[in-house]
Amino acid sequence: MSNTRPVPPMPRISLRSESAAAIVVFAVLALLPLMMGGYVIYVLPQYLIYGVLAMSLGMLWGYAGILSFGQAAFFALGAYAMGLAMKAGFGAGDGYLGLLAAIVVGAGLAFLVGYFLFSAGVRDIYFVLITLALSIMVQQIAISQSSLTGGFNGMYIPRMDLALGPLGRVSLAHDRAIYYLVLPVTVAIYAGLRRLTRSDFGKVLVGIRENEGRTLSLGFDTSWYKTIAFTISGAVACFAGALYGAHAEFVSPSLASVAFSTEVVIWVAIGGRQSLLGALLGGLGVAALSNYLDGLSPVFWQLILGGIFVAVIIAFKGGIAGALGRLVARKDDAHG
Amino acid sequence: MTHETVFHAILSLAIQGTLITFVYALAALGLAVVFGLIGVINMAHGAMITLGAYFTWACLSAGLPFGLAVLVAVAGVGLVGLIVEHALIRHFYDKPFETLLLTWGLFLILTELIKIAFGSDIRTIPTPLPSAIAFLGFHIPEYEALVALLSAALLGAIGLVFYKTSYGIKIRALTQNREVAGLLGLNVAATYKIVFVAGAMLAGLAGALMSPILSIDPTIGNIYLVRSFFVVIVGGIGQLLGGTLAGSFLIGGSQTIFGAFSSQVIAQTIVFALAIVVLRFRPTGVFKEK
Repeated sequence: MSNTRPVPPMPRISLRSESAAAIVVFAVLALLPLMMGGYVIYVLPQYLIYGVLAMSLGMLWGYAGILSFGQAAFFALGAYAMGLAMKAGFGAGDGYLGLLAAIVVGAGLAFLVGYFLFSAGVRDIYFVLITLALSIMVQQIAISQSSLTGGFNGMYIPRMDLALGPLGRVSLAHDRAIYYLVLPVTVAIYAGLRRLTRSDFGKVLVGIRENEGRTLSLGFDTSWYKTIAFTISGAVACFAGALYGAHAEFVSPSLASVAFSTEVVIWVAIGGRQSLLGALLGGLGVAALSNYLDGLSPVFWQLILGGIFVAVIIAFKGGIAGALGRLVARKDDAHG
Repeated sequence: MTHETVFHAILSLAIQGTLITFVYALAALGLAVVFGLIGVINMAHGAMITLGAYFTWACLSAGLPFGLAVLVAVAGVGLVGLIVEHALIRHFYDKPFETLLLTWGLFLILTELIKIAFGSDIRTIPTPLPSAIAFLGFHIPEYEALVALLSAALLGAIGLVFYKTSYGIKIRALTQNREVAGLLGLNVAATYKIVFVAGAMLAGLAGALMSPILSIDPTIGNIYLVRSFFVVIVGGIGQLLGGTLAGSFLIGGSQTIFGAFSSQVIAQTIVFALAIVVLRFRPTGVFKEK
């Protein structure tokens, strides 16, 4: 429809308070394995990886205004890349090869799809449905190419070792070992994406989100900027998938399903689409809560999650991070 | 291969292609009506199809005859559409992107309600017409032929409403210029509501009529959302009937042809990829004139 009104800018979380919150969150996460063990430490890396996946969408949706329902496709591709690399039998470098292959595959596919579509002006709902189709296609290919992927039954992935050259190899078989690999990687990706969103490039993305026509007429090649944003998002999602494969030691076609694609969108919507930390915590928190409540009552929890999603869309566009940001802003005002 | 076997194979593909075209058109019609007329992409379309199939199954289990079960399913899904439109969608017509997310949330909620109400086990419905029509040495399943005929009749009926009745002409005016249509005395809010509910009823009808052909589980509708979207886009959004039929023919026909050389799964993937290419180069549909 032609009558799209420009969306008023959302209240932004002050940068200082987000940095402070991020430092607290990461410090707690870093200290956690010293205080606890067992299942929590086993499962937390998986939620952190979900958080990375959520950030890949948060950057794209929150800053560039491009909603993708295909993040699960990239995530699944990354996990399969890791699985195939581990199967290839190159010895010590297998795991690195898997991670590298995931980045290359994710960036490559996202660049091709992005350039192909954005250069023709495909956007909004059209882009959403095409990326949804992308997930379905990856899932169907994974099911049908069973000699390569194990089909419906999925594929077992041996956990990678961390080969440190002359320093020898670190086994990631222990929960704490892989925890302390995933956490710094998550922090690094958060820091990298945050830097990106605050750079000139990020400002152009926000310009595209607010008014693509104006940004174009200011001389920015908007389809190119959108392609690069989608490429970075695809690479991050695919890399997260490879880490997931290494951690879970298993990948199956359901990782590319419509249901999982949907979950990513819900995490980001609830966490807050204009805050990378919100997206990260949305992925971590909602996935953890889902896991806990799924055990109690799976269907009702999914129903409640759907309800929360609708409520966020109607009333809390900024998600939890947006609501908190508004609160902080009001307090700042009150104190002058 | 002799000429006769080649002829036989081509005829077989033509028959399959015709049947699949009308089934896809039936599945896409609800989406096409809502998208084409009021610009809303109903992401819950697939879940509404699933709901129609489950309502039919429930009615049959309760002992109703098939025809009545279909009518109840249509009314039931229509009612769901009415409630949702009144409670949520009507407030967001001027924000297409929010409507997309809202209807997606609705898809999630409907899917979970279906799981709670009917369970996740696969349900099957026996074909109401188990015999086959013998035609040039082929056996065409009677029920599938009936569904194709009903789908064609439905396209014709909708065509009559839009092109021959004054109300249909007013609705088409609405799609071209909302303000002027309002000035001409068309109740815009009521029309939007009617169109959305009609779309829901059509989705319910598609689910009900397809239910004996499918094995029913809570996610059967998912693939029809994307498929119907591509049908509508490839055919051309503005052209409600011709577009839907042409899109169904291109999507269903090419799937039949690719399916003859590879698995259905691969055929589906190739067709989606082709549809994306078409969307890239002809965003207004294959047959849209300048």
